Amino acid sequence: MRLENVWLRYHRRGPWVLQGIDVRIGPGEVAIVLGRNGVGKSTLLQVAAGVLRPGRGRVTDRPARVGWVPERFPTDQPFTVARYLTGMARVAGLGRAAADEAVTSWTDRLGLSAFRSVRLPELSKGTAQKVGLAQALLRPPGLLVLDEPWEGLDAATRELVPELIAEVLAADGSVLVSDHRGETVRLPAARRWLVADGSLSEETSSPDETIAVVEVAVPAARVAGTVARVRAEGHHVLRVRSDASTAASQALPVEPLRPAEPSLKMAGEVTAEQPEAADAAVESAAGETR
Amino acid sequence: MSALVRMRLAGLLRTGRALAPLLAGLITLGTLYGGGRAQPAEAYGVSAVVLFPVLAWQTKILLDVEPDVQRRLAQVTVGVARERLAGLLAAAVAALATVTVALLFPWLVGGVSGPVDPGDRSIPVGLALGLWAHVLVVPAAVALGALASRASVGGAGYGVAVLALGGVGAVVFGLTGSVAPWLAPPIMAAARTTAGDAAALTVLGLSGWALAWSAAVVGGYLWRRRAQG
Repeated sequence: MRLENVWLRYHRRGPWVLQGIDVRIGPGEVAIVLGRNGVGKSTLLQVAAGVLRPGRGRVTDRPARVGWVPERFPTDQPFTVARYLTGMARVAGLGRAAADEAVTSWTDRLGLSAFRSVRLPELSKGTAQKVGLAQALLRPPGLLVLDEPWEGLDAATRELVPELIAEVLAADGSVLVSDHRGETVRLPAARRWLVADGSLSEETSSPDETIAVVEVAVPAARVAGTVARVRAEGHHVLRVRSDASTAASQALPVEPLRPAEPSLKMAGEVTAEQPEAADAAVESAAGETR
Repeated sequence: MSALVRMRLAGLLRTGRALAPLLAGLITLGTLYGGGRAQPAEAYGVSAVVLFPVLAWQTKILLDVEPDVQRRLAQVTVGVARERLAGLLAAAVAALATVTVALLFPWLVGGVSGPVDPGDRSIPVGLALGLWAHVLVVPAAVALGALASRASVGGAGYGVAVLALGGVGAVVFGLTGSVAPWLAPPIMAAARTTAGDAAALTVLGLSGWALAWSAAVVGGYLWRRRAQG
């Protein structure tokens, strides 16, 4: 699939959110769309999925079957989980028996079996997100577009998402995924598209890129929050230990990590915020940015 | 696409919001038929006029109960054209169901009578003309309701304004001696036809007019949807 010189704005006199995006994704490829809040990641994904029509430019060779997982699943609908998913399976063109089979299979796999007869408005955010995932996968998609798919999911399902992506890729499908929580470290083979100021650049990485390991000391009570923030910045957290004696900042030898890791900035900020604290240590690996 | 039509109809029925226009329509028809017995063609002609805003309102509700993101999911799944068509078809099916209730209603409350004078139309002819007047209203009302839907106009306030203007305009511009009768669907003209001399050519002409008006308004709806993205 290819986006050719795609421009998009939401209002006639509004600013262009996307400005001349030119990018291509092939079968079996996954791309992570990165960027700050409000920069147009969702907009780009929706153009790719066929939800939004570009103001200028065009999208070519979009696979016939597209699965789109929106950022927020619309729960304000008068259906139960099973009834909704069966309806969507039928809308996607499955016959009655095939639809039932697909719904049973996906509700089992995503841990939704207990919620089959629960009405959509009564679902928690994470469970609703699973319904959003299920509806996109009822028929194997040629293009799967995931907008912040990890948002609100429990640990087990977060682990499942890369597996689902791998299955789409294995069937020669393409996957686009946005993420601001740093969960995409689970997709080491993915291309990385950076959206900024309406344009898109692809982060390329060289295998010999220098990687550094930074040790950061934080109070034990703040470990979970710090790990989440460091991950959200795109850094790779190697391990967390409670040993205070080695918590001092120390440069370690280069380790064979994933090449495309961002800067030391986040780790530095963590240290600066808690200079007196040495109750726990977070090891964080970081490399050079381009 | 029929699956999407069924899903949208189910959405309308399950929310219960369909009751408001239906009740409003039945109350108006009850008042209408409560005033005295009339012959079928004449009674049905007026009933069709009453149903026009009711069916447009029902269409707007049907299209609006579906959340915006769900409508986009449907579009991703079936494509733009079929998503639009499924909405219009679902609204037409719902409208035909309401029309059926409206056609049966006067018989239940004793609001119609058979021919009285020798020159009066027979009941079957009256029924046929009444059915025609109602069916004529369906595409026009569905088109107006779609144009007034949230997906078309954006904000809720504009939708109500479009609905109100369309409903009032259909009556005002449809009056005898109107300066711009073509601005409105011919529902008032159809009511006059059923009450008076219903020549085959008039019936055909009014049918064509109704279809052309509906097509133009549906065109406006599709253009608005395209503009809304």
